[in-house]
Amino acid sequence: MSERVAELRRSREKSLFLRVSALLVGGGIIWAWFSSRPLLGRLSAERRWENFKNFAGELVPSPVRKSGDWSEAGPWAWDLLTDEGFLALMTTLGIATAAIILSATFVLPLLPFASRQLSRPDPFGMWAGRSGTFRVWVRRIVGPVTRFGFVLARAVPEYIVAFLLIALLGLQVWPLVLALAIHNLGILGRLWGEVVENAEPAAAEHALAAGQSRNSVFLSRIYPANFNRFLIYFFYRWETCVKDATVLGMLGLLTLGKLIALSKGFFWDQMFFYILLGASVILIGDLFSTFLRRRLR
Amino acid sequence: MPDAGKYGRRRWVVLGIGLLFLVCAWSLGLTPAGLIPPDATRWERTGEFFKAALNPAFDYEDPNVPDDADPIWLKGLKGVFLTLKFAFGAMSLAIPAALVMGFFGSSSWWPSPCGRALKGGLQTVYFSCRFLMSLLRSIHELIWALLILSAFGMSPLAGMVALALPFSGTLGKVFSELIDEEARDAASALKAIGHRPVQTFLVGTLPAALPNLITYSFYRFECALRSSAVLGFVGIETIGLYIELSHEEFYYREVWTYFYLLLALIVVVDFWGAGIRKRLNANTGGCRA
Repeated sequence: MSERVAELRRSREKSLFLRVSALLVGGGIIWAWFSSRPLLGRLSAERRWENFKNFAGELVPSPVRKSGDWSEAGPWAWDLLTDEGFLALMTTLGIATAAIILSATFVLPLLPFASRQLSRPDPFGMWAGRSGTFRVWVRRIVGPVTRFGFVLARAVPEYIVAFLLIALLGLQVWPLVLALAIHNLGILGRLWGEVVENAEPAAAEHALAAGQSRNSVFLSRIYPANFNRFLIYFFYRWETCVKDATVLGMLGLLTLGKLIALSKGFFWDQMFFYILLGASVILIGDLFSTFLRRRLR
Repeated sequence: MPDAGKYGRRRWVVLGIGLLFLVCAWSLGLTPAGLIPPDATRWERTGEFFKAALNPAFDYEDPNVPDDADPIWLKGLKGVFLTLKFAFGAMSLAIPAALVMGFFGSSSWWPSPCGRALKGGLQTVYFSCRFLMSLLRSIHELIWALLILSAFGMSPLAGMVALALPFSGTLGKVFSELIDEEARDAASALKAIGHRPVQTFLVGTLPAALPNLITYSFYRFECALRSSAVLGFVGIETIGLYIELSHEEFYYREVWTYFYLLLALIVVVDFWGAGIRKRLNANTGGCRA
Protein backbone atom coordinates (compact mmCIF):
# COMPACT_ATOMS: atom_id res chain seq x y z
CA MET A 1 0.00 0.00 0.00
CA SER A 2 2.61 2.51 1.06
CA GLU A 3 4.68 1.59 -1.98
CA ARG A 4 1.75 2.44 -4.18
CA VAL A 5 1.43 5.78 -2.40
CA ALA A 6 5.13 6.42 -2.90
CA GLU A 7 4.76 5.60 -6.57
CA LEU A 8 1.83 7.96 -6.92
CA ARG A 9 3.82 10.62 -5.15
CA ARG A 10 6.76 10.14 -7.53
CA SER A 11 4.56 10.34 -10.59
CA ARG A 12 2.71 13.51 -9.60
CA GLU A 13 3.01 16.56 -11.75
CA LYS A 14 6.02 18.69 -10.92
CA SER A 15 6.93 22.12 -12.12
CA LEU A 16 10.34 23.65 -11.69
CA PHE A 17 8.83 27.10 -12.26
CA LEU A 18 6.43 26.72 -9.36
CA ARG A 19 9.11 25.33 -7.07
CA VAL A 20 11.48 28.19 -7.79
CA SER A 21 8.58 30.61 -7.29
CA ALA A 22 7.75 29.08 -3.92
CA LEU A 23 11.39 29.28 -2.90
CA LEU A 24 11.59 32.92 -3.96
CA VAL A 25 8.43 33.84 -2.07
CA GLY A 26 9.55 32.01 1.07
CA GLY A 27 12.97 33.59 0.88
CA GLY A 28 11.39 37.00 0.33
CA ILE A 29 9.27 36.70 3.45
CA ILE A 30 12.21 35.66 5.63
CA TRP A 31 14.28 38.45 4.16
CA ALA A 32 11.51 40.98 4.82
CA TRP A 33 11.37 40.12 8.50
CA PHE A 34 14.98 39.39 9.33
CA SER A 35 17.13 41.76 7.33
CA SER A 36 19.00 44.40 9.25
CA ARG A 37 16.68 47.40 9.26
CA PRO A 38 14.90 47.79 12.62
CA LEU A 39 11.24 47.08 12.08
CA LEU A 40 10.01 49.09 15.02
CA GLY A 41 11.91 52.30 14.39
CA ARG A 42 13.44 54.35 17.16
CA LEU A 43 10.62 54.97 19.61
CA SER A 44 10.32 52.85 22.72
CA ALA A 45 7.25 50.75 23.43
CA GLU A 46 6.11 52.95 26.34
CA ARG A 47 6.42 56.04 24.22
CA ARG A 48 4.29 54.42 21.54
CA TRP A 49 1.64 53.43 24.05
CA GLU A 50 1.53 57.04 25.33
CA ASN A 51 1.18 58.25 21.73
CA PHE A 52 -1.62 55.85 21.13
CA LYS A 53 -3.56 56.87 24.26
CA ASN A 54 -3.30 60.55 23.36
CA PHE A 55 -4.35 59.79 19.83
CA ALA A 56 -7.36 57.73 20.85
CA GLY A 57 -8.50 60.53 23.17
CA GLU A 58 -8.30 63.03 20.34
CA LEU A 59 -10.67 60.98 18.20
CA VAL A 60 -13.63 61.85 20.44
CA PRO A 61 -15.68 64.72 18.93
CA SER A 62 -14.52 68.03 20.41
CA PRO A 63 -17.87 69.17 21.95
CA VAL A 64 -18.18 65.77 23.61
CA ARG A 65 -14.65 66.03 24.96
CA LYS A 66 -15.57 69.37 26.62
CA SER A 67 -18.94 68.44 28.05
CA GLY A 68 -18.80 64.66 28.26
CA ASP A 69 -22.27 64.51 26.72
CA TRP A 70 -22.58 62.29 23.64
CA SER A 71 -25.84 63.93 22.53
CA GLU A 72 -23.77 66.82 21.22
CA ALA A 73 -22.06 64.57 18.70
CA GLY A 74 -25.13 64.56 16.40
CA PRO A 75 -25.27 68.29 15.58
CA TRP A 76 -21.47 68.34 15.34
CA ALA A 77 -21.54 65.58 12.72
CA TRP A 78 -24.41 67.28 10.86
CA ASP A 79 -22.43 70.52 10.67
CA LEU A 80 -19.44 68.74 9.22
CA LEU A 81 -21.64 66.94 6.72
CA THR A 82 -23.47 70.01 5.46
CA ASP A 83 -20.41 72.24 5.58
CA GLU A 84 -18.17 70.34 3.17
CA GLY A 85 -18.69 66.64 3.73
CA PHE A 86 -21.63 66.20 1.39
CA LEU A 87 -20.04 68.14 -1.44
CA ALA A 88 -16.83 66.14 -1.06
CA LEU A 89 -18.85 62.95 -1.15
CA MET A 90 -20.56 63.89 -4.41
CA THR A 91 -17.25 64.95 -5.98
CA THR A 92 -15.70 61.62 -5.01
CA LEU A 93 -18.56 59.69 -6.59
CA GLY A 94 -18.51 61.90 -9.70
CA ILE A 95 -14.79 61.43 -10.25
CA ALA A 96 -15.02 57.67 -9.88
CA THR A 97 -17.98 57.40 -12.25
CA ALA A 98 -16.54 59.68 -14.92
CA ALA A 99 -13.20 57.87 -14.79
CA ILE A 100 -14.56 54.36 -15.14
CA ILE A 101 -16.87 55.35 -18.01
CA LEU A 102 -14.01 57.08 -19.76
CA SER A 103 -11.76 54.04 -19.57
CA ALA A 104 -14.57 51.69 -20.62
CA THR A 105 -15.12 53.88 -23.68
CA PHE A 106 -11.51 53.46 -24.69
CA VAL A 107 -11.13 49.78 -23.84
CA LEU A 108 -14.15 48.53 -25.77
CA PRO A 109 -12.95 49.45 -29.28
CA LEU A 110 -9.47 48.13 -28.42
CA LEU A 111 -10.73 44.67 -27.46
CA PRO A 112 -10.85 43.10 -30.94
CA PHE A 113 -7.24 44.19 -31.38
CA ALA A 114 -6.20 42.74 -28.04
CA SER A 115 -8.04 39.44 -28.43
CA ARG A 116 -5.79 36.40 -28.69
CA GLN A 117 -8.25 34.70 -31.05
CA LEU A 118 -9.26 37.56 -33.34
CA SER A 119 -6.12 39.63 -33.59
CA ARG A 120 -3.93 37.25 -35.58
CA PRO A 121 -3.45 36.31 -39.23
CA ASP A 122 -5.80 33.32 -38.81
CA PRO A 123 -8.66 34.35 -36.49
CA PHE A 124 -9.86 31.36 -34.41
CA GLY A 125 -7.35 29.28 -36.35
CA MET A 126 -9.29 29.79 -39.59
CA TRP A 127 -7.86 30.80 -42.90
CA ALA A 128 -8.88 34.39 -43.54
CA GLY A 129 -8.13 34.92 -47.17
CA ARG A 130 -4.87 35.79 -48.86
CA SER A 131 -2.95 38.84 -47.73
CA GLY A 132 0.52 40.26 -48.21
CA THR A 133 3.50 39.62 -45.94
CA PHE A 134 3.29 43.10 -44.47
CA ARG A 135 -0.33 42.73 -43.42
CA VAL A 136 0.29 39.31 -41.95
CA TRP A 137 3.16 40.76 -40.00
CA VAL A 138 1.03 43.65 -38.75
CA ARG A 139 -1.69 41.22 -37.72
CA ARG A 140 0.87 39.27 -35.79
CA ILE A 141 2.21 42.13 -33.69
CA VAL A 142 -0.94 44.19 -33.06
CA GLY A 143 -2.24 41.80 -30.40
CA PRO A 144 0.90 41.56 -28.25
CA VAL A 145 1.49 45.31 -28.56
CA THR A 146 -2.05 46.17 -27.40
CA ARG A 147 -1.87 43.72 -24.52
CA PHE A 148 1.51 45.08 -23.45
CA GLY A 149 0.01 48.56 -23.56
CA PHE A 150 -2.61 47.35 -21.08
CA VAL A 151 0.14 45.93 -18.86
CA LEU A 152 1.95 49.28 -18.85
CA ALA A 153 -1.24 51.22 -18.15
CA ARG A 154 -2.06 49.14 -15.11
CA ALA A 155 1.54 48.91 -13.91
CA VAL A 156 1.69 52.49 -12.72
CA PRO A 157 -0.15 53.19 -9.48
CA GLU A 158 -2.90 55.75 -10.08
CA TYR A 159 -1.75 57.82 -7.12
CA ILE A 160 1.62 58.42 -8.78
CA VAL A 161 0.03 59.25 -12.16
CA ALA A 162 -2.31 61.71 -10.48
CA PHE A 163 0.57 63.26 -8.58
CA LEU A 164 2.52 63.81 -11.79
CA LEU A 165 -0.49 65.03 -13.78
CA ILE A 166 -1.44 67.61 -11.16
CA ALA A 167 1.99 69.16 -11.55
CA LEU A 168 1.36 69.46 -15.28
CA LEU A 169 -2.33 70.35 -15.58
CA GLY A 170 -2.77 72.27 -12.37
CA LEU A 171 -4.98 71.51 -9.42
CA GLN A 172 -8.31 70.52 -10.99
CA VAL A 173 -10.47 67.47 -11.46
CA TRP A 174 -9.02 66.26 -14.77
CA PRO A 175 -5.75 64.82 -13.41
CA LEU A 176 -7.63 62.62 -10.96
CA VAL A 177 -10.12 61.44 -13.58
CA LEU A 178 -7.34 60.78 -16.07
CA ALA A 179 -5.15 58.94 -13.58
CA LEU A 180 -7.99 56.64 -12.56
CA ALA A 181 -9.01 56.20 -16.20
CA ILE A 182 -5.49 55.27 -17.33
CA HIS A 183 -4.96 52.73 -14.57
CA ASN A 184 -8.37 51.15 -15.11
CA LEU A 185 -7.82 51.08 -18.86
CA GLY A 186 -5.16 48.48 -18.20
CA ILE A 187 -7.21 46.54 -15.70
CA LEU A 188 -10.45 46.54 -17.70
CA GLY A 189 -8.40 45.62 -20.75
CA ARG A 190 -7.18 42.51 -19.00
CA LEU A 191 -10.48 41.55 -17.36
CA TRP A 192 -12.60 42.15 -20.47
CA GLY A 193 -9.89 40.49 -22.54
CA GLU A 194 -10.31 37.38 -20.40
CA VAL A 195 -14.07 37.52 -20.98
CA VAL A 196 -13.52 37.61 -24.74
CA GLU A 197 -11.04 34.76 -24.49
CA ASN A 198 -13.38 32.57 -22.47
CA ALA A 199 -16.37 33.34 -24.70
CA GLU A 200 -18.15 30.54 -26.51
CA PRO A 201 -16.48 30.61 -29.95
CA ALA A 202 -19.11 28.87 -32.12
CA ALA A 203 -21.11 31.94 -33.13
CA ALA A 204 -17.97 33.94 -33.89
CA GLU A 205 -16.52 31.10 -35.95
CA HIS A 206 -19.69 30.82 -38.01
CA ALA A 207 -19.72 34.52 -38.72
CA LEU A 208 -16.05 34.49 -39.69
CA ALA A 209 -16.55 31.52 -41.98
CA ALA A 210 -19.43 33.38 -43.63
CA GLY A 211 -17.04 36.20 -44.41
CA GLN A 212 -17.59 38.80 -41.71
CA SER A 213 -14.65 40.96 -40.75
CA ARG A 214 -12.99 40.67 -37.35
CA ASN A 215 -14.47 43.89 -36.04
CA SER A 216 -17.98 43.07 -37.13
CA VAL A 217 -17.65 39.61 -35.58
CA PHE A 218 -16.67 41.27 -32.32
CA LEU A 219 -19.52 43.78 -32.48
CA SER A 220 -22.23 41.41 -33.64
CA ARG A 221 -21.33 38.15 -31.90
CA ILE A 222 -18.92 38.51 -28.99
CA TYR A 223 -19.95 41.85 -27.55
CA PRO A 224 -23.72 41.23 -27.31
CA ALA A 225 -23.37 37.69 -25.98
CA ASN A 226 -21.00 38.77 -23.20
CA PHE A 227 -22.59 42.11 -22.38
CA ASN A 228 -23.54 41.13 -18.84
CA ARG A 229 -20.08 39.83 -18.07
CA PHE A 230 -18.62 43.12 -19.27
CA LEU A 231 -21.02 44.96 -16.98
CA ILE A 232 -20.06 42.81 -13.98
CA TYR A 233 -16.43 43.85 -14.31
CA PHE A 234 -17.44 47.42 -15.03
CA PHE A 235 -19.27 47.67 -11.69
CA TYR A 236 -16.48 45.90 -9.87
CA ARG A 237 -13.97 48.45 -11.11
CA TRP A 238 -16.36 51.30 -10.38
CA GLU A 239 -16.43 50.19 -6.79
CA THR A 240 -12.62 50.24 -6.59
CA CYS A 241 -12.59 53.64 -8.28
CA VAL A 242 -14.75 55.09 -5.54
CA LYS A 243 -12.25 53.87 -2.99
CA ASP A 244 -9.30 55.27 -4.90
CA ALA A 245 -11.00 58.60 -5.68
CA THR A 246 -11.41 59.17 -1.95
CA VAL A 247 -7.71 58.85 -1.42
CA LEU A 248 -6.61 60.79 -4.50
CA GLY A 249 -8.18 63.83 -2.88
CA MET A 250 -5.26 63.79 -0.45
CA LEU A 251 -3.35 65.41 -3.29
CA GLY A 252 -5.42 68.53 -2.70
CA LEU A 253 -8.84 68.42 -4.37
CA LEU A 254 -12.19 68.64 -2.69
CA THR A 255 -12.89 65.00 -2.16
CA LEU A 256 -12.98 63.30 1.20
CA GLY A 257 -9.25 62.64 0.99
CA LYS A 258 -8.53 66.36 1.09
CA LEU A 259 -10.70 66.90 4.13
CA ILE A 260 -8.95 64.00 5.80
CA ALA A 261 -5.51 65.32 4.96
CA LEU A 262 -6.40 68.87 6.07
CA SER A 263 -7.79 67.88 9.44
CA LYS A 264 -4.87 65.57 10.12
CA GLY A 265 -2.69 66.72 13.00
CA PHE A 266 -5.08 69.42 14.25
CA PHE A 267 -8.59 68.05 14.27
CA TRP A 268 -8.26 64.32 14.69
CA ASP A 269 -11.93 64.01 15.60
CA GLN A 270 -12.96 65.58 12.28
CA MET A 271 -10.50 63.41 10.40
CA PHE A 272 -11.97 60.33 12.00
CA PHE A 273 -15.47 61.46 11.08
CA TYR A 274 -14.49 61.92 7.42
CA ILE A 275 -12.78 58.53 7.38
CA LEU A 276 -15.92 56.89 8.72
CA LEU A 277 -18.00 58.83 6.20
CA GLY A 278 -15.79 57.60 3.36
CA ALA A 279 -15.86 54.06 4.67
CA SER A 280 -19.63 54.05 4.82
CA VAL A 281 -19.88 55.32 1.24
CA ILE A 282 -17.53 52.59 0.10
CA LEU A 283 -19.48 50.03 2.09
CA ILE A 284 -22.69 51.16 0.37
CA GLY A 285 -21.00 51.21 -3.05
CA ASP A 286 -19.67 47.73 -2.34
CA LEU A 287 -23.12 46.39 -1.42
CA PHE A 288 -24.71 48.10 -4.45
CA SER A 289 -22.12 46.71 -6.83
CA THR A 290 -22.34 43.22 -5.31
CA PHE A 291 -26.12 43.36 -5.71
CA LEU A 292 -25.88 44.45 -9.35
CA ARG A 293 -23.27 41.81 -10.13
CA ARG A 294 -25.39 39.07 -8.56
CA ARG A 295 -28.38 40.16 -10.64
CA LEU A 296 -26.35 40.20 -13.85
CA ARG A 297 -24.96 36.69 -13.36
CA MET B 1 -29.04 34.79 -31.23
CA PRO B 2 -29.98 37.43 -28.68
CA ASP B 3 -33.66 38.27 -28.76
CA ALA B 4 -35.05 41.71 -29.42
CA GLY B 5 -36.07 42.40 -25.83
CA LYS B 6 -32.56 41.87 -24.55
CA TYR B 7 -31.17 43.97 -27.36
CA GLY B 8 -33.40 46.84 -26.33
CA ARG B 9 -32.26 46.60 -22.72
CA ARG B 10 -28.61 46.68 -23.70
CA ARG B 11 -29.15 49.82 -25.69
CA TRP B 12 -30.71 51.59 -22.74
CA VAL B 13 -27.92 50.52 -20.42
CA VAL B 14 -25.27 51.89 -22.77
CA LEU B 15 -27.21 55.11 -23.35
CA GLY B 16 -27.74 55.48 -19.61
CA ILE B 17 -24.05 55.08 -18.91
CA GLY B 18 -23.21 57.66 -21.58
CA LEU B 19 -25.70 60.07 -20.08
CA LEU B 20 -24.28 59.46 -16.62
CA PHE B 21 -20.86 60.48 -17.90
CA LEU B 22 -22.26 63.77 -19.21
CA VAL B 23 -23.95 64.44 -15.87
CA CYS B 24 -20.73 63.74 -13.97
CA ALA B 25 -18.65 65.83 -16.36
CA TRP B 26 -21.09 68.70 -16.05
CA SER B 27 -21.22 68.62 -12.27
CA LEU B 28 -17.44 68.32 -11.92
CA GLY B 29 -16.83 71.06 -14.49
CA LEU B 30 -14.84 68.80 -16.81
CA THR B 31 -14.29 70.61 -20.09
CA PRO B 32 -11.88 69.78 -22.90
CA ALA B 33 -10.15 73.08 -22.16
CA GLY B 34 -9.03 71.69 -18.83
CA LEU B 35 -6.80 69.22 -20.62
CA ILE B 36 -4.49 71.96 -21.81
CA PRO B 37 -1.86 73.16 -19.32
CA PRO B 38 -3.16 76.51 -18.03
CA ASP B 39 -0.16 78.79 -18.53
CA ALA B 40 3.17 79.09 -20.32
CA THR B 41 5.35 77.88 -17.45
CA ARG B 42 3.26 74.76 -17.11
CA TRP B 43 3.51 74.17 -20.84
CA GLU B 44 7.26 74.42 -20.53
CA ARG B 45 7.33 72.15 -17.53
CA THR B 46 5.13 69.63 -19.32
CA GLY B 47 7.49 69.67 -22.26
CA GLU B 48 10.49 69.29 -19.99
CA PHE B 49 8.86 66.49 -18.07
CA PHE B 50 8.11 64.41 -21.15
CA LYS B 51 11.47 65.23 -22.73
CA ALA B 52 13.06 63.79 -19.61
CA ALA B 53 11.24 60.53 -20.31
CA LEU B 54 13.54 59.92 -23.26
CA ASN B 55 16.56 60.89 -21.26
CA PRO B 56 16.41 59.38 -17.77
CA ALA B 57 19.21 60.26 -15.38
CA PHE B 58 22.20 57.98 -15.12
CA ASP B 59 23.77 60.35 -12.63
CA TYR B 60 22.28 62.59 -9.96
CA GLU B 61 20.92 65.92 -11.14
CA ASP B 62 21.26 67.23 -7.61
CA PRO B 63 24.67 68.95 -7.35
CA ASN B 64 24.78 68.51 -3.56
CA VAL B 65 24.93 64.75 -3.51
CA PRO B 66 28.11 63.67 -1.66
CA ASP B 67 30.72 61.92 -3.75
CA ASP B 68 30.64 58.70 -1.79
CA ALA B 69 26.86 58.24 -2.25
CA ASP B 70 25.60 55.19 -4.15
CA PRO B 71 25.24 55.76 -7.90
CA ILE B 72 21.66 56.47 -8.87
CA TRP B 73 20.97 53.10 -10.44
CA LEU B 74 22.05 51.40 -7.23
CA LYS B 75 19.87 53.68 -5.14
CA GLY B 76 16.97 52.96 -7.49
CA LEU B 77 17.56 49.22 -7.22
CA LYS B 78 17.64 49.52 -3.45
CA GLY B 79 14.32 51.32 -3.65
CA VAL B 80 12.95 48.48 -5.76
CA PHE B 81 14.13 45.93 -3.20
CA LEU B 82 12.71 47.94 -0.31
CA THR B 83 9.39 48.04 -2.14
CA LEU B 84 9.49 44.27 -2.66
CA LYS B 85 10.46 43.67 0.94
CA PHE B 86 7.64 45.81 2.18
CA ALA B 87 5.12 43.95 0.04
CA PHE B 88 6.44 40.58 1.23
CA GLY B 89 6.20 41.65 4.86
CA ALA B 90 2.66 42.97 4.45
CA MET B 91 1.44 39.89 2.59
CA SER B 92 2.95 37.53 5.14
CA LEU B 93 0.82 39.28 7.76
CA ALA B 94 -2.29 39.49 5.60
CA ILE B 95 -2.50 35.91 4.34
CA PRO B 96 -2.65 34.10 7.72
CA ALA B 97 -5.23 36.61 8.94
CA ALA B 98 -7.19 36.16 5.72
CA LEU B 99 -7.11 32.36 6.02
CA VAL B 100 -8.63 32.53 9.50
CA MET B 101 -11.28 35.04 8.43
CA GLY B 102 -11.90 33.17 5.19
CA PHE B 103 -12.54 29.97 7.14
CA PHE B 104 -15.03 31.58 9.51
CA GLY B 105 -16.58 33.57 6.65
CA SER B 106 -17.40 30.45 4.65
CA SER B 107 -20.21 28.01 5.25
CA SER B 108 -19.26 24.85 3.37
CA TRP B 109 -17.60 23.22 6.42
CA TRP B 110 -20.65 23.53 8.64
CA PRO B 111 -21.88 20.14 9.91
CA SER B 112 -24.99 19.43 7.91
CA PRO B 113 -27.42 17.98 10.40
CA CYS B 114 -26.84 20.81 12.76
CA GLY B 115 -28.54 21.70 16.06
CA ARG B 116 -30.33 25.01 16.24
CA ALA B 117 -28.04 26.46 18.91
CA LEU B 118 -24.90 25.48 17.00
CA LYS B 119 -26.29 26.83 13.74
CA GLY B 120 -27.19 30.11 15.39
CA GLY B 121 -23.67 30.39 16.78
CA LEU B 122 -22.08 29.58 13.45
CA GLN B 123 -24.25 32.12 11.68
CA THR B 124 -23.34 34.81 14.17
CA VAL B 125 -19.64 34.11 13.62
CA TYR B 126 -20.20 34.00 9.86
CA PHE B 127 -21.93 37.37 9.63
CA SER B 128 -19.67 39.17 12.08
CA CYS B 129 -16.64 37.86 10.21
CA ARG B 130 -18.04 39.05 6.88
CA PHE B 131 -18.82 42.45 8.39
CA LEU B 132 -15.32 42.75 9.83
CA MET B 133 -13.85 41.97 6.43
CA SER B 134 -15.92 44.64 4.66
CA LEU B 135 -14.98 47.13 7.33
CA LEU B 136 -11.28 46.40 6.86
CA ARG B 137 -11.68 46.71 3.11
CA SER B 138 -13.64 49.91 3.08
CA ILE B 139 -10.77 51.99 4.43
CA HIS B 140 -8.04 52.53 1.88
CA GLU B 141 -4.51 51.45 2.78
CA LEU B 142 -3.22 55.02 2.63
CA ILE B 143 -5.77 56.07 5.20
CA TRP B 144 -4.97 53.08 7.37
CA ALA B 145 -1.34 54.16 7.11
CA LEU B 146 -2.28 57.67 8.14
CA LEU B 147 -4.21 56.38 11.15
CA ILE B 148 -1.66 53.84 12.30
CA LEU B 149 1.38 55.98 11.72
CA SER B 150 -0.21 58.83 13.67
CA ALA B 151 -1.24 56.51 16.47
CA PHE B 152 1.99 54.59 16.88
CA GLY B 153 4.61 56.72 15.20
CA MET B 154 6.53 56.01 12.03
CA SER B 155 8.13 52.59 11.62
CA PRO B 156 8.34 49.99 8.85
CA LEU B 157 6.26 47.55 10.91
CA ALA B 158 3.45 50.09 11.33
CA GLY B 159 3.44 50.60 7.56
CA MET B 160 3.27 46.86 6.94
CA VAL B 161 0.36 46.51 9.34
CA ALA B 162 -1.39 49.41 7.61
CA LEU B 163 -1.05 47.65 4.28
CA ALA B 164 -1.92 44.23 5.71
CA LEU B 165 -5.25 45.32 7.25
CA PRO B 166 -7.24 46.17 4.09
CA PHE B 167 -5.50 43.39 2.16
CA SER B 168 -6.52 40.79 4.72
CA GLY B 169 -10.11 41.99 4.34
CA THR B 170 -10.04 41.59 0.55
CA LEU B 171 -8.16 38.30 0.63
CA GLY B 172 -10.42 36.91 3.35
CA LYS B 173 -13.57 37.74 1.41
CA VAL B 174 -12.27 36.12 -1.75
CA PHE B 175 -10.88 33.11 0.13
CA SER B 176 -14.26 32.48 1.73
CA GLU B 177 -15.99 32.72 -1.65
CA LEU B 178 -13.49 30.45 -3.35
CA ILE B 179 -13.91 27.89 -0.58
CA ASP B 180 -17.69 28.02 -0.83
CA GLU B 181 -17.68 27.77 -4.63
CA GLU B 182 -15.47 24.69 -4.60
CA ALA B 183 -17.28 21.53 -5.77
CA ARG B 184 -18.37 19.51 -2.78
CA ASP B 185 -18.07 15.97 -4.21
CA ALA B 186 -14.89 15.04 -2.38
CA ALA B 187 -16.10 16.62 0.82
CA SER B 188 -19.44 14.82 0.78
CA ALA B 189 -17.74 11.49 0.00
CA LEU B 190 -15.44 11.97 3.01
CA LYS B 191 -18.38 12.93 5.16
CA ALA B 192 -20.25 9.81 4.06
CA ILE B 193 -17.46 7.54 5.34
CA GLY B 194 -17.50 9.26 8.70
CA HIS B 195 -15.06 12.17 8.70
CA ARG B 196 -15.87 15.03 10.96
CA PRO B 197 -16.76 18.40 9.40
CA VAL B 198 -13.44 20.10 10.08
CA GLN B 199 -11.50 17.06 8.89
CA THR B 200 -13.59 17.07 5.74
CA PHE B 201 -12.74 20.69 5.23
CA LEU B 202 -9.02 20.21 5.76
CA VAL B 203 -8.72 17.09 3.60
CA GLY B 204 -11.52 17.48 1.05
CA THR B 205 -12.24 21.14 0.42
CA LEU B 206 -9.08 23.07 1.21
CA PRO B 207 -6.65 21.13 -1.03
CA ALA B 208 -9.07 21.45 -3.94
CA ALA B 209 -9.38 25.18 -3.46
CA LEU B 210 -5.66 25.67 -2.90
CA PRO B 211 -4.58 26.45 -6.51
CA ASN B 212 -7.20 29.19 -6.68
CA LEU B 213 -6.18 30.55 -3.29
CA ILE B 214 -2.54 30.67 -4.35
CA THR B 215 -3.12 32.39 -7.67
CA TYR B 216 -5.39 34.93 -6.06
CA SER B 217 -2.86 35.60 -3.30
CA PHE B 218 -0.23 36.19 -5.92
CA TYR B 219 -2.48 38.61 -7.74
CA ARG B 220 -2.90 40.51 -4.48
CA PHE B 221 0.85 40.47 -4.04
CA GLU B 222 1.10 42.36 -7.32
CA CYS B 223 -1.35 44.89 -5.90
CA ALA B 224 0.62 45.09 -2.64
CA LEU B 225 3.68 46.00 -4.64
CA ARG B 226 1.91 48.95 -6.25
CA SER B 227 0.51 50.02 -2.90
CA SER B 228 3.86 49.88 -1.17
CA ALA B 229 5.28 52.13 -3.86
CA VAL B 230 2.43 54.55 -3.13
CA LEU B 231 3.06 54.37 0.61
CA GLY B 232 6.39 56.01 -0.20
CA PHE B 233 4.38 59.20 -0.60
CA VAL B 234 3.47 59.19 3.09
CA GLY B 235 7.10 58.81 4.03
CA ILE B 236 7.76 55.08 4.18
CA GLU B 237 11.03 54.27 2.50
CA THR B 238 10.08 52.63 -0.77
CA ILE B 239 10.75 53.78 -4.32
CA GLY B 240 7.71 56.06 -4.11
CA LEU B 241 9.58 58.20 -1.61
CA TYR B 242 12.46 58.69 -4.05
CA ILE B 243 10.05 59.62 -6.82
CA GLU B 244 8.38 62.19 -4.65
CA LEU B 245 11.61 63.73 -3.37
CA SER B 246 13.13 64.05 -6.83
CA HIS B 247 9.89 65.45 -8.21
CA GLU B 248 9.77 68.09 -5.50
CA GLU B 249 13.13 69.40 -6.66
CA PHE B 250 12.08 69.27 -10.34
CA TYR B 251 14.73 66.62 -11.10
CA TYR B 252 12.51 65.09 -13.77
CA ARG B 253 15.21 62.88 -15.24
CA GLU B 254 15.73 61.26 -11.85
CA VAL B 255 11.96 60.81 -11.54
CA TRP B 256 11.93 58.90 -14.80
CA THR B 257 14.85 56.70 -13.74
CA TYR B 258 13.01 55.58 -10.61
CA PHE B 259 9.78 55.39 -12.55
CA TYR B 260 11.23 53.06 -15.17
CA LEU B 261 12.69 50.85 -12.43
CA LEU B 262 9.31 50.64 -10.71
CA LEU B 263 7.65 49.90 -14.04
CA ALA B 264 10.16 47.15 -14.77
CA LEU B 265 9.58 45.59 -11.35
CA ILE B 266 5.82 45.57 -11.78
CA VAL B 267 5.92 44.25 -15.33
CA VAL B 268 8.32 41.44 -14.32
CA VAL B 269 6.11 40.43 -11.39
CA ASP B 270 3.06 40.64 -13.66
CA PHE B 271 4.59 38.10 -16.04
CA TRP B 272 5.73 35.95 -13.12
CA GLY B 273 2.14 35.91 -11.88
CA ALA B 274 0.83 35.04 -15.34
CA GLY B 275 3.25 32.09 -15.40
CA ILE B 276 2.00 30.86 -12.04
CA ARG B 277 -1.63 31.25 -13.08
CA LYS B 278 -1.03 29.31 -16.26
CA ARG B 279 0.72 26.45 -14.47
CA LEU B 280 -1.79 26.12 -11.66
CA ASN B 281 -4.42 26.26 -14.37
CA ALA B 282 -6.81 28.25 -12.28
CA ASN B 283 -9.05 30.96 -13.56
CA THR B 284 -9.95 33.21 -10.69
CA GLY B 285 -10.94 36.05 -12.95
CA GLY B 286 -10.10 39.22 -11.17
CA CYS B 287 -13.52 40.40 -10.20
CA ARG B 288 -12.99 39.50 -6.64
CA ALA B 289 -11.77 42.35 -4.56
